[in-house]
Amino acid sequence: MASVKLEGITKRYEDVTAVDDMNLEIEDGEFVTFVGPSGCGKSTTMETIAGLTLPTEGTVEIGGRDVTDLPPKDRGISMVFQNIALFPHMDVYDNISFGLRLRKYDQEEIDRRVEEAADIVQLEGMMDRMPSEMSGGQRQRVAIARAIVRNPDAFLMDEPLANLDAELRVHMRTQLQRLHRQLDTTIVYVTHDQAQAMTMSDRIAVINSGVLQQVAPPLECYNEPANRFVAGFIGSPAMNFVEGEVVDGGFESQYTQIDFDPATHGVTPGQEITVGIRPEDVFLEEDSRKAASPTKAFDAVVDVIEPMGKEVNAYLLFDRDVEASAEGRGEGQLLINLAPDTEIAEGDDVRIVIDRENIHLFDRASGDAITHSLE
Amino acid sequence: MSADPADREPVADGGAADEPDPTVEMAEQAGREEPDLDRGIVEAWAAKMISNPDRAYRATFYVATFFFLVTTLFPFYWLLVVALTPRNNLSEVGVFLPAGFNPAAFIDIFTTLPFHRYVFNSFLIATVATVAVLLVGSLAGYVFGRLRFRGRNAMLLLVLVTSFFPPAAFFIPLNRLFNTNVDVLRPLLSAGSLYNTPYAIFIPLSAIFLPLSIFILMTFYSQIPDGLEDAARVEGTTRLGALFRVIVPLSAPGVATAGVLTFISVYNEYFFSSLMTDGRPQNWAPMLEGILRFQGEFEVLYNLMAAASIVAVLPVAILVVVAQEKIVSGLTTGAVKE
Repeated sequence: MASVKLEGITKRYEDVTAVDDMNLEIEDGEFVTFVGPSGCGKSTTMETIAGLTLPTEGTVEIGGRDVTDLPPKDRGISMVFQNIALFPHMDVYDNISFGLRLRKYDQEEIDRRVEEAADIVQLEGMMDRMPSEMSGGQRQRVAIARAIVRNPDAFLMDEPLANLDAELRVHMRTQLQRLHRQLDTTIVYVTHDQAQAMTMSDRIAVINSGVLQQVAPPLECYNEPANRFVAGFIGSPAMNFVEGEVVDGGFESQYTQIDFDPATHGVTPGQEITVGIRPEDVFLEEDSRKAASPTKAFDAVVDVIEPMGKEVNAYLLFDRDVEASAEGRGEGQLLINLAPDTEIAEGDDVRIVIDRENIHLFDRASGDAITHSLE
Repeated sequence: MSADPADREPVADGGAADEPDPTVEMAEQAGREEPDLDRGIVEAWAAKMISNPDRAYRATFYVATFFFLVTTLFPFYWLLVVALTPRNNLSEVGVFLPAGFNPAAFIDIFTTLPFHRYVFNSFLIATVATVAVLLVGSLAGYVFGRLRFRGRNAMLLLVLVTSFFPPAAFFIPLNRLFNTNVDVLRPLLSAGSLYNTPYAIFIPLSAIFLPLSIFILMTFYSQIPDGLEDAARVEGTTRLGALFRVIVPLSAPGVATAGVLTFISVYNEYFFSSLMTDGRPQNWAPMLEGILRFQGEFEVLYNLMAAASIVAVLPVAILVVVAQEKIVSGLTTGAVKE
């Protein structure tokens, strides 16, 4: 068990910067997830921790030891890969014991440890199977057993569940959480799936284009996103954004107007800002008592209704003349969550209110969050 | 306009006249098919083949196979015929049957000359060359197949170019070099020069056959997923360890192909093998020299040469049979990326 510390990690390839000045401290026993869109540099960051990629600049410390120039085998880490990467020419026992045999443990110790690891991931009785004879979930369990058998200081997991089917993925998610509780080891986890990030981690590190956006516990990332990118990336369905300008009495955009006192929220009239509203913070006017502090009501038209079972997603337009954008939610569109028993239908005129306690303001130029509540 | 009726009439006429004809003719032809068989053997055979092309394919297959087998195996059979012919009848060797029966030739080759020593020399040289080529070829194949670096293509081209050099071009400088006495080597080699040592054969031959192996191994190693190498390195190997513990075992067909090709090439090589030693078995003369030694000043003992040739083929034949499965899959899987 050990802490992991990244200091000024930068990785430049010939013409692209994959990771840009990453500073991050992961505490002993912590479960930290790197999350971000494809190609954001999260895997490269993990590879620099593993030693599979050498950073252009910066240092990596594991357990207080500078390991920047050490090869992967001497870093005291183990890794689970996206494509599972079991050695196809070895059976389960040989795969799990590979690292121990290389380190010349005596046979008794190897047997004991392999048995223990196989027990944790429930692989008893499969020791002489070849990887090609196993299902995806079994192979993934072998890969995890191979990672835990050496008692590493830290686990690195690079999208370990990406190649599994949906049902198995949810099952393995809980297994991994249980495993973390059982082993109490530092885990660094990479995923592009924010659901995995939200459910499993102690802290989430949101990365975009090689730059660390926010490192915080999942709910903090959700409720108090550091900037517009985090706000849009964390949460499903994603946050609504309305672009507009600060005026004397509050905020004004083409279709909406929200009253607040600019001075108390750190904005000045004339400033261009973006308002962020989560779908669950918008209510129909007749339900406005559900909002802690409703705004005044807006007129809107129901465009599309998506019944999800436990809730209904409704896409609203602020005006009948708004063109529904083909790519994502455009200006003048708003996605809201409604109770499943709602009676509104497509084409209806509705009046909606927004919960002022959960209105986020972002500076439009920098994207940084200004406030997370207008109360 | 005036041409219209004139045009129409012949068409109408012809149409009326022709129309019944084709159907009648076809019906007649169908009815006549059986009697047509009397026209001649070849025509009847051709008609049968056209109506049933599978037979034609099968016949072609058997003809081609027979031809192939005869051209490859008959020389061996004839070697056996020559080997079994007694020494006195060598002037009247038969084509299919030996003129006499003298299996003692297979024993004489070991008694008149230590032919086993020659075969052993060749076997050892070929084995050492194969091991050296696979080792160096694996390292080069790993670098060219799995790493990206500046100048990779230029270096690969250079390797390719050297493999196009005619080996004879190297001979004179190498022969001079190997005949030079190098003081440093004196404690290791009695004469201080490489001439009359196995090194004089296996060093140039390894170098000549190395590029082919590099290309074969490069293709195979490049197809092993990066994740497996990463996994091995995280688990505790160095890059070299990952190469020999994971990449090489998973490329077994490619390694077997490169190994067998190198072994056979070195074992069979004529030019360097015949000139880099003085031809005496204790001086590491290869199998080829042994066969040539049955050619005296006044007489050529073709029967012993033939017997020796058959014996010399055996190790390679056994090797190919043993490694055959791997080689076949190696030669084919290398071509297609999965």
